[in-house]
Amino acid sequence: MDRAHVGALVRAAVDGDAAAWKALVEGLSPLVWSVVRSHRLSDADAHEVYQTVWFRFAQHLGRIREPDKAGSWLASTARHESLKVLKSLRRLMPTDDAQLLDRVSDDRTPEQSFLDLEDAAAETERIRRLWQEFEGLGERCRQLLRVLMASPTPKYQEVSVALGIAVGSIGPLRQRCLRRLRARLEARGAV
Amino acid sequence: MRDMDDINDINDDEEPVEGEEFDLDLLEEELRRAAAILDPVPPELRQIAVEAFALHDLDAEIAELTFDSAVDALPVRGAVEAPRMLTFHAGGLTVDVELSAHGLMGQVLPPQTARVEVLRGPQAGSPLSTDAMGRFTYDEPPTGPFALRLRTGEATLVTDWLTV
Repeated sequence: MDRAHVGALVRAAVDGDAAAWKALVEGLSPLVWSVVRSHRLSDADAHEVYQTVWFRFAQHLGRIREPDKAGSWLASTARHESLKVLKSLRRLMPTDDAQLLDRVSDDRTPEQSFLDLEDAAAETERIRRLWQEFEGLGERCRQLLRVLMASPTPKYQEVSVALGIAVGSIGPLRQRCLRRLRARLEARGAV
Repeated sequence: MRDMDDINDINDDEEPVEGEEFDLDLLEEELRRAAAILDPVPPELRQIAVEAFALHDLDAEIAELTFDSAVDALPVRGAVEAPRMLTFHAGGLTVDVELSAHGLMGQVLPPQTARVEVLRGPQAGSPLSTDAMGRFTYDEPPTGPFALRLRTGEATLVTDWLTV
């Protein structure tokens, strides 16, 4: 999604344009999902938080002060709602990341079908290994990289509010974390 | 923090060598592809977000969450089952809500009759009525996304959405 259009889409949606709303959902869902996933929530909690964020966005749509920064609004709301759910006492279920690794064979995404067509078992294995090493990173790196993985690439302003870190420290931290990941892959002979 | 040790034990602060930034960009792009395969936005969730446009209502006033015991209160030792207390404000109205394993109890202040809907998503919620004191109850413990829509004589209010 061209982020230059976000403000225009928000304004159109305020005026009742359902197609504009849909475009916002399509374009910004991966960001919201990445922010939620970067926090250690159970699958069920992650699903609920994602929904709450969008319900809140729909509710506040006409009152958002800077429509051009709707991505930051969503990222910030996703962070706060995730932290709140983590804080509430009854939710003590950790994320079971092992399940994620099994999803390659379960869910059929377009990318997965493509991999099937290519008969790229080796490719699948490489992605699995990449994900495993990513999951093994320290919490800070895992969080940052999970947010950066949103598609399209999030703006640093969005990453900043998603994780509560200064915009200026994102670049250096990103570099460290990617180096760290590469070092882990090299150690496993996976590069 | 474990992370800091984790980060500092490698060649962190070295100047990037030639071509490294390009390599790191590629690695980030690979991660993006891996996320699209291994942890994409679940399609059913995306659909719910599309349908959430129905919640866009310029005529309804938003009752802001001003107190949430899950955040604003100190945890009471051993009181895991303590009800969660929420307070919402809009204009001159206050809505107090108590959520527990048995359901919810609430009160509109100042006391008045209102029609109340317990919302879980974009669909119409379960309709309730208050008594003359503004009190209302609901027997099902809500879980997941939650909001209340209140219709008083003059106005429609919707509380801020939250996750319970």
